[in-house]
This record gives sequence, C-alpha cells and structure tokens, in this order.
Amino acid sequence: MSYALIVAEVRRGVFEERNLDSIGLGALLGTQAVLLVPDGAYEAGEKLVDAIVKVKAAEEVYLNPMNMGRMLETVFAARGKPDYILFTQSSSGMESAAYAAGLFGMPVITDVSGYDKEGGFFLKSYYSDKVFGQFKATGGPAILTVRSGSFREFAAEKPAAAAVDAMEGVSAVETRTFLEYVEEEKTDIDITKAEFLLSVGRGIGSQDEVAGYEELAGALKAVLSGSRPVIDKMWLPKARQVGTSGKTVKPKVYLAMGISGAFQHIAGMKDSDCIIAVNKDAGAPIFQYAHYGIVGDIHKVRDKIKELAKG
Amino acid sequence: MNILVFTKRVAATQEEELRITGEGQAVDLSKVPFKVNDWDNYCVEEAVRIVDKAGGSVTAISIGDAESDEVLRRAIAMGAKDGFLVETGEVLHDPFVRGELIRGFIDKEKVPFDIIFTGVQAEDDQFGAVGGVLGGIMGLPYASMVIGIDAVEKDHVVVRRELEGGLQEKVKVAIPCVLSIQSGINEPRYVSIMGIRKASKVERKVFKASEYEKGAPKIELTKWVYPPKKGGATMLDGELAEVCGQLLGILKEKGVYQ
Repeated sequence: MSYALIVAEVRRGVFEERNLDSIGLGALLGTQAVLLVPDGAYEAGEKLVDAIVKVKAAEEVYLNPMNMGRMLETVFAARGKPDYILFTQSSSGMESAAYAAGLFGMPVITDVSGYDKEGGFFLKSYYSDKVFGQFKATGGPAILTVRSGSFREFAAEKPAAAAVDAMEGVSAVETRTFLEYVEEEKTDIDITKAEFLLSVGRGIGSQDEVAGYEELAGALKAVLSGSRPVIDKMWLPKARQVGTSGKTVKPKVYLAMGISGAFQHIAGMKDSDCIIAVNKDAGAPIFQYAHYGIVGDIHKVRDKIKELAKG
Repeated sequence: MNILVFTKRVAATQEEELRITGEGQAVDLSKVPFKVNDWDNYCVEEAVRIVDKAGGSVTAISIGDAESDEVLRRAIAMGAKDGFLVETGEVLHDPFVRGELIRGFIDKEKVPFDIIFTGVQAEDDQFGAVGGVLGGIMGLPYASMVIGIDAVEKDHVVVRRELEGGLQEKVKVAIPCVLSIQSGINEPRYVSIMGIRKASKVERKVFKASEYEKGAPKIELTKWVYPPKKGGATMLDGELAEVCGQLLGILKEKGVYQ
C-alpha cells in the first residue's frame, strides 16, 4: 500500500498543534495517511487521517530517536515501507527524523514549508528565509520535517473515521534514557503580559548598544525583549526571549529592531496586533510579516525617536 | 575524552540582501563575507571546556574548500589540538552525503573518538540533520538541541536538551555518541588576531574528500527561489525625522504611547 506515515509529536500529554501541518502536507501528497501516535487520552486527529497506529509506549520512550527507529521498523514490517515519513520541525522531530534517515538510508529534507505537486518538489529555507531551495527526493521514499504553520489549512476531515490499530511497544534502548524535565526559572518579568514590546536582534551589533535600547524602551514605556542571538550572547536574560524556544507573545504593538525574522522568531510573535519592523536589509523576511516597516540604520532610528519622544 | 568537533565556514548573510542569479541556478555570495558557523563556535568552546576538566583532546574537522582552513585555525586558537580539513570544492547540500563522507573519513583514517560534536544546524543551509544522520549511519546514540552538559563520566554523559517554550529535558547518553550542540550553551571565548596567528603555526592536515566513499546524493536542489510574498508591510519612507514621527503616530493610534 502506498502511504505517508505521519509521526505525531506528543509532549507532556499534549498532541501538539503542529501535527496538523504534517497531516496537511500528508493530504497534499495524496497518498493514504497513517498517523503514528503513543497510546494516550488525547484527540489525535481521528477524523483527519485514514488510519491510526497507537503504540503502547510512554511518551519519553517514544520521543527518543533510537526507540523511534525500532518503532518504525515494526510499522514497516506490518505495512511495508511508506512513500514518505513526516515529522514535525521541532526539537524532537528534527532529532528523530535525521536519525531515521541515517538508520534506514532514506533521503531527508528538513523544515519543509511548501510543496509543488506538479513538479513534486519541496520548498526549504536557506539563510534564515532570505532564499528558498526547491528540492526533490531522488533516492526513494523520503523523510520530511514540516514547518509549523505551513500546511494546517490542508488538513481536512475524511468521510470515514480512521481505522485504529494497536501496536505493541518496543524494548527501549539503554544508550539514551530520559531522566527528568527541567522547567525554566521563574522571574519577575513576564513579557507575555506586556502590551507594547520593543524587541531587539542581532542587528544591534554589540552589547554596548543594549543600554541605548533600554533607554528607548523607558522613553516609550515599552518592555524590552529580544530574539535568540541576543539571548545566546547573554546581552539579555533568557526570560526576555521571543520565539519557539522562548516565549510566544501577542502584544498590541511589537516593535522589532535589528531582527531579520528567522522562522523560529516569527512563530513567537506573528499574532501580535501590530508589528513594526526596522531593519537595514530591505529583503529581511520580517517585512513579510510586519504591518509597518522602516528600512534604515536602527541606531539612528533609535536616537531620533528618543529625541522626539522627549520633545 | 577525545572529542571530534565539526566546524563549517559559512556565508555571513544576516545583514546582506541576497540575489539569485540566472533562472534560479545560484545565490550570489561573491560580495558576502564568510565566518565560522555560530553553532560550531559554541561546539568548539564546549569541547575545549570538557577536555580542560576531563583530559583528552579536541580535534576540529572541517569539510569544505581550502578557505575552510580559517575555521580550523580559529578552533586551534580556542584550544583544539588538531585541525583536519576534508577538502572538497563541491557544496554538499545533502546531509546524507555529508554523513556518509564523515563516516568514510573516520573509518579509513581510523580517527579515534569518544564523542562527536556537531552544531544543531549550519547558518547557511539550516538542515539541522548531519548529526542525526551520522548517528543513524554509525549506529551511535544521538541527542540534539543540547543546551547543557551536566556530567561527563567515563561511559556516559548527562545532557539537557532544549525543547519548546523554555522547557528542557535531561537525558543520559552512553559514550561513544553524537551530540548536536545548541547555540547559547556557553559563552565562547574571545579569539584575538594574535591568537589565530599563533594557531597557524600548528600544522593542519589536509585530506581529499574524493578518497572516501560518500555515496550518491539522495536529494536534488533543482532551483533557488525568493520567499513567497505574504501581505508585506506598509513602508514608511522619507527623512529620518519624518519616518520616526510617523512611527510615534502609529504608536499613539494603537494606544500604547501618549
């Protein structure tokens, strides 16, 4: 049987919303859609796929690339090798997808955000979304990781409910074992509560410039936040990070300065009421998501606004 | 503890407007500066810190053209003992081809290791897959998004993986293994020009990629395209004061600034 295997991501008992993007791409591929999911008490897109395989495995066992390899072998043995295996583009999906590609010798294309059915090619980001590569899998059945938000509108209800299969769990590997979850430290600042965020990115250039943006935030009564590079360099604390690995924010106004707009950042702020972007590069992807844009030197813009705000 | 660290020289495109040439055949990088991949810089730092405590050595390996020697000198300046260049003029887009080439190189040259570090992803192709593919090909345990290494023992490491929304998971991974390191795991040391100059006195070995099996690519890049246009922003144009005045006007209109 020709089919696409959709490996669902379940973390802490939650069937992640980004699974809908995998299901949506699965629908576009036009084959039977079979969903693999750890057995548990959650809605798992029962009406959106043709079949569901519920594997008796604890979530932590399931979200382990080596165990996933064994589970996939069991699925292949029962149903044959699929035409595609779809994972989410996430911390667990990326890990298991790449490992499975190596294990089974399958082509892998990651961070897929578009599909052209006629040409049979997949769109993949390069250089933080400044350009995209059109890829074809030439080496047989392919493994894809699917960018969140890209295909969920194509996930549609099927006329009949999915056939549900139970699958026995595999013996878990001992070479990698889960120990515990570690929560982020609680802090006084909660950027998710702010109505007005001034967010700074790599474009500010150096740590010495941070103080100037703190002053601007003060003058505008905005809360200061940042994108990943600024947090990685420890110019701002982790609690102020906007993006998939930080906070998801929806302020009234999101003023982004020197942020080019990597997808992981966009995912954390795209639902803001009003997005204003200031960037030196007119081709920065953030302008695609912003309501207002200014192309220019961010430090000059900063200093001029401060001057006008005082006046 | 012998750690192999893969480090890549990439185009620094953050501040650059990129142009696609011809009918989508290439991205013009002729005027773009090059630098070490951010993630790999964190990798080198983490590896050096581990061997400083646990003993052993760090070997930096780069797959790329002759210019990639630059990132090896940098790694040596940071504390790597050796630098190996696996030289190829080809751009290897396919993570599978990279993985096979690495396996072929390690096998044939009998490069000893306990742990292999790769960056979570490279800034240019953003595949984020070479470490995982390598783990799968070599049958080694793998963990990605490593944002902390809490313990390094003889036969295992305890690492923290970065998940979404600020959550982390702690996992125990047996050695030998492959780990993909996330940016922000440490504060990489500053490397001076003097330091790099000194490092250039350490011999870097050059190997030809054509000597190793890497198999046929399993994916093909057919064309480059610009990002699909979304709504797009209303651009504020004019003199600096005028543009900033308009911006303040928008803030007032949205009710976040009086």
